[in-house]
Amino acid sequence: MKQSLFIVILFLSLPGKGQELFSATEPASNIAAGSIGFRLDNSIMNEINSSKINYHLIPEVIIGVSKKLMIQGNLFFSNRNKNFAAEGGSLYAKYRFLSHDAVQRHFRMAVFGRVSYNNSDIHQEEINMYGHNSGYEAGAVATQLLRRVALSTSLTFLNALDNGNNNKFPYGSKNNQAINSTLSIGRLMFPKEYRSYKQTNINLMVEFLTQVNTGSGKYYFDIAPSVQMIFNSQSRVDIGYRNELSGTLLRTAPNGFFIRLEHTFFNAFK
Amino acid sequence: MKKIFLFIAIAFSVVTNAQVTKVSLQASGLTCSMCSNSINKALKTLDFVDKVEADIKKYTFEISFKSNSTVDFEMIKKKVEGAGFTVSGFVASIVFNNVQVTNNQPINIGDKIFYFVNAGGQSVNGVKEIKIIDKGFVSLKEFKSNPYPNSSPHTYHATL
Repeated sequence: MKQSLFIVILFLSLPGKGQELFSATEPASNIAAGSIGFRLDNSIMNEINSSKINYHLIPEVIIGVSKKLMIQGNLFFSNRNKNFAAEGGSLYAKYRFLSHDAVQRHFRMAVFGRVSYNNSDIHQEEINMYGHNSGYEAGAVATQLLRRVALSTSLTFLNALDNGNNNKFPYGSKNNQAINSTLSIGRLMFPKEYRSYKQTNINLMVEFLTQVNTGSGKYYFDIAPSVQMIFNSQSRVDIGYRNELSGTLLRTAPNGFFIRLEHTFFNAFK
Repeated sequence: MKKIFLFIAIAFSVVTNAQVTKVSLQASGLTCSMCSNSINKALKTLDFVDKVEADIKKYTFEISFKSNSTVDFEMIKKKVEGAGFTVSGFVASIVFNNVQVTNNQPINIGDKIFYFVNAGGQSVNGVKEIKIIDKGFVSLKEFKSNPYPNSSPHTYHATL
């Protein structure tokens, strides 16, 4: 715990400018209205007590409906259950209801919701609507962009249902709800000076993600540092590592790498 | 009777052959170049826009227009807002042909009406930069210190 705090303080004292496109969470901002983004999310997680690697592939389409509303649709693929297979998908929407802008800074707030379907069997107490559980989640996020630092915090309520293919939620009807909270910090490291849109941007992020099961009271507390590169001011690659710092929830594969690729087509539709 | 009054009103409003040559816009709410690029690309979709020169460091965009086109200030502002940001500065370069400019008197320029708030009754000639000071064209902080009444469409308050 002390070590993570030290890393955060060191990170915050480095010179640089803020960046708020986080890797493991969504900020309060949306993509530009009329734009379409394509994202490929890869997770390579180490299964606990086994040498097996859990690989999750989530392709995603992101649509900027208006300056305030963004929707996303994705599909879940993974190899958790023997073969690499399609397991379901989700629909996500985020509505930005507050935005205070000033030069090189903003404070924004948004509400979001997700509905997920997953047909694979459940073998962990952790509730995850992004590739593990069927159910829904809703929450709010606030993001502050300052010249040097971008900070984002979110609170989400999750409700897991039975998964498809007769895979029921096995931990009891009292333990299928949870609250997630996150704190994300990002910093633009390069370029030191902007000259052109063609310069590669490199951002460093560190994110803290927690979940508390409202029935059992069990929790997890993870850290997810990542490096993000933005090419041509249009394409993005995030490489990060997620690690459980402490927890009591039963989880199959909480630690591992994630690699996300994203490309945005601006002004794709009117 | 009404028609005579209308005729007199039109005769007394100042009509000019002035035109908008460029707009220098500053955007707020962003730091990164991808954010700047989304504004840059959005502005370029406007059919009356000829070129956009972005200064990523200063968050400014120099917009030049196609000749003989009608420049829509509202559409420019909406493109910045659609990209997810806000306008914090909007300066239009306008060619004036010996126009008498008095405080709070409506000046017709093309399809727009301007009310200048710091004019001293001077005659204006040549290319002049005018700063729009209505809500949405300046930062909220700046607008609150000088809140001009909500404009009707194509009507703007400006400083010379």
